[in-house]
Amino acid sequence: MQKFSTAFQKAPWTLGLALFFIVTSLFTLFVWIPIDIETGVIETFRRRVTIGDAMAPTIMTVGILVTSILMGLIAIIRPVSAVEGLDRKSFYFIFRLVIAIAIGLALMMHAGPLLVDLVNALGGEIGTYRNLRGTYPYKIFGYMLGGFALIFGCIGVVENRFTLGSAGVSLLAVIVLTILYEVPFDNMLLPPNGNN
Amino acid sequence: MGLLDHIWLGIVTVFSADPVFSIAGLPISITIVMVILGFLFGIFVGATPGIGGPFAMAISLPILISVFGFDANALLPVLGFLVGIMKGSTIGGAVPAILFNTPGTPDSLMTTLDGYPLTKRGQPGKALRVAHFSSVSGDTFSDIVLITCAPFLAILVEKFLDFPEKAALIILSLAFVSAVVGSNVWKGMLAALLGLFIAYIGTGEDGHPRLSMGSDSLAAGFPLISAVLGVLILGEVFKSLEDMWREMKDTSSITHVEVKGDNKLHLSDIRRILPFIGISASIGTMIGALPGIGSTLAATLGYATGRKYHKGSPAFGEGAIEGIAATEAANSAVAGANLIPVLSLGIPGNVSAVFILLATETISGFTPGPQVFRLVPDQINQEMVYAFGLFTTMIFANGLNWTLGGIFMRWMGVMIRIPKQRLLPIVLLLTLTAIYVQQTTMFAVYVTLGFGFLGYLMRKLNMSVLAFIIAYILANNLEEAMRQAFAVTGADPWFLFAGPISITFMVLAIAVVVFFARNQKDLS
Repeated sequence: MQKFSTAFQKAPWTLGLALFFIVTSLFTLFVWIPIDIETGVIETFRRRVTIGDAMAPTIMTVGILVTSILMGLIAIIRPVSAVEGLDRKSFYFIFRLVIAIAIGLALMMHAGPLLVDLVNALGGEIGTYRNLRGTYPYKIFGYMLGGFALIFGCIGVVENRFTLGSAGVSLLAVIVLTILYEVPFDNMLLPPNGNN
Repeated sequence: MGLLDHIWLGIVTVFSADPVFSIAGLPISITIVMVILGFLFGIFVGATPGIGGPFAMAISLPILISVFGFDANALLPVLGFLVGIMKGSTIGGAVPAILFNTPGTPDSLMTTLDGYPLTKRGQPGKALRVAHFSSVSGDTFSDIVLITCAPFLAILVEKFLDFPEKAALIILSLAFVSAVVGSNVWKGMLAALLGLFIAYIGTGEDGHPRLSMGSDSLAAGFPLISAVLGVLILGEVFKSLEDMWREMKDTSSITHVEVKGDNKLHLSDIRRILPFIGISASIGTMIGALPGIGSTLAATLGYATGRKYHKGSPAFGEGAIEGIAATEAANSAVAGANLIPVLSLGIPGNVSAVFILLATETISGFTPGPQVFRLVPDQINQEMVYAFGLFTTMIFANGLNWTLGGIFMRWMGVMIRIPKQRLLPIVLLLTLTAIYVQQTTMFAVYVTLGFGFLGYLMRKLNMSVLAFIIAYILANNLEEAMRQAFAVTGADPWFLFAGPISITFMVLAIAVVVFFARNQKDLS
C-alpha cells in the first residue's frame, strides 16, 4: 500500500492510465466483443478452419490488458517521477477551445439555412436552403461565418483577448480559404453543402 | 521488359505525361509543375516556426486528392507535390534556427548552436550557405542509397518472406517503433495496440461490421485520413496552442544583425565540411532506414559525432561551420532513407513516409511493398514504373534544391514574423475544410476532431502518436497476413513460429521490447 501511494504521488497519470486501460479492456473483452462481433476467434465452416473477425480485436485487447498490468506493476515497484498529464489549466484551456470550435462549427452548419429562413420570413420567397446551396451568397455564408468564428475564437482563447488585429487576420484567412476552394474547383463543396 | 526499360518509362512518365504548357516548344508535364510548387511550398513552411513539412503534407493531401481524383493518373502529380514539400522543408528548417535562434523544427535545434553565433558575428549568409550545401548533400546521398537499396531489399523480401514471415515482420516493426519512440516502452506499446484496435472497428470479413455499435457511419470504420490528420496534425495544433497560451511568448522581439565580413562559401570551406557531411549523411541514412527513429536523433548523433572529430577553432557551439554541416547533413539524410521501408516492405517509418503511404493507399494503381519491384517477362510492371517515377521526382527536387534552394532559402527569414498563435487556428480550419472537401460529410470532421483530442491527450500523457498511427495504418495488412498465414500453414496456431525467419523476427521483437524496457530510465 505504501508503494502504491508513493507511485501514485510520483506518476499519478501513469497509474491512472494503467487502471483505465485495465477496466476498459476487461469490459471490451467480456462485453463489447461478444455482443458486437458475430464470428468468433476461430471459425470452422465445412471442416475448413479460419480466423474469425473476433481474433484480431481479442488479441489487441488482451495485449492492452497485459501491457497495462505490467505498466502499472512497474510503476508501483520502480516509481519514477514523470512530468506528464493534465492539470486544472489544461482542462480550462481545452474547455474554452472546445466552446470556440463548437460555436464555429455550429455557425458553419446552420448559418446558411438560417439566412435563407430569414430572407423567406422577410418576404423574399427564395425557397429552401437545399435548393440554394449552389447559389451565392448562401453557399459560402455558413462556411465564412463559421470559419471566421472558429479562427477568431481560437486566437482569442490563446491570446486571452479579442482584438481588431486578430479579427482582421481571421477574416482575411477565411476569405483566402474560400477563394482557394471556390474559384479554381467547381466540384468541391464547402461545409455544409456536401451533406445529404 | 527489363529493369532499364522500367527506369526509362518512369523518367519519361514524369517528364512528358499530361503536359500543361510548353516553354520554347518543350512540354512541361503536370508532375514537374507539381514538384516545383511543392518544393516552393516546402521551403515556405519549413522556414515557418511551428509548421513543418509533415503539416504541409497533411494539409495538402486531401486537397490534392480532391483536385486530381483517385485514379492512377493522379499518382505522380500528387506524390511529386509531396516529395517537393519533403525536399523543400528540409532546407527551410535551418533558416529560423540560424537567423533567429529559433529552431523551426526539433531537428534543427542543433543548428542554432553554431548557426546563431555565426549570425551574431555578422555572417548569416555563410551559415545559411553551409546549411544549404550540407542539407542538400545529405539528402542527395540518402536518395542514392534509397534508389539503389530499396529494389534489392524488396526482391529479397519477395524471395524469402511468405505470409507468416510478413506478419512477424510487421509485429517486429511495431515493437521497434513502440519501444524506440518516446520515453516509456509500455506507453509506446499501449499506443500501438490502441491504434490496431481502433483500426479494427467497423471492418472485418463478416457481413456484420464488427464493433460498430450498430452505427451505419462506423460500418466502414473510421476514415483513415481523419484518423491520421486528427492525431498527427490537430493533436499537435491543440497542444501547441495550449503551450502558447501558458507561455505567451513575445515573438516580436527580433534582433537585427548587421551583415559584415566573409559571407560566401569557398572551396576551402567545402573541403573543411565535407568529412563531417560524409559521416553525418551516413548516420542519417542508417537512422532513416529504421522505422520510428526520426531526424531529431539523427541530428543529435551527427552533431555529437562531428564534435568528437572536430579539432581547431572555433569549437563546436561557438560558430563552427562544421557544426552546422554535421547537423544539417544528418537530419536531411533521414528523408530519403525513410522511404526504404515504405517502398520495399510497405511499412512507414516516420510521419513524412506516413503521408506518402496514405497517398498511395487513397489513389489506385500503386501499393508500396515488395511486389512493386517484381519483374514479369514480356510485361510492364506499372507499379515499378511509378516507383521509378517517384525516384525521378526526388532527383528532380534535389536538382531544384541544388540550384534554386539556396536563393529561396535566404528570402525566407521574414517567416519568423508570422505569429504562431494566429497561424495554427488557420491550420485547424484548413485541415477541417480539407477533410470535408474530400469526405463531404460532417461526420468525418467530427471524427477528425475526436482523433485530434485523442492526439492531444496522448501527447500530454507521453504516449507515442507515431506508434499509434503506424499501427493504425498497418492494422489491416497485419490481419490479412495473419489470416493468410493461418490458412497456408493448415490452421497451425503457432504459424508465427513456423519457420526460422519468422522465429527470428518474433525473438527480435521480444528482445527489442525487453531491452528498451530495462533501459527505460536512461531513455527518459
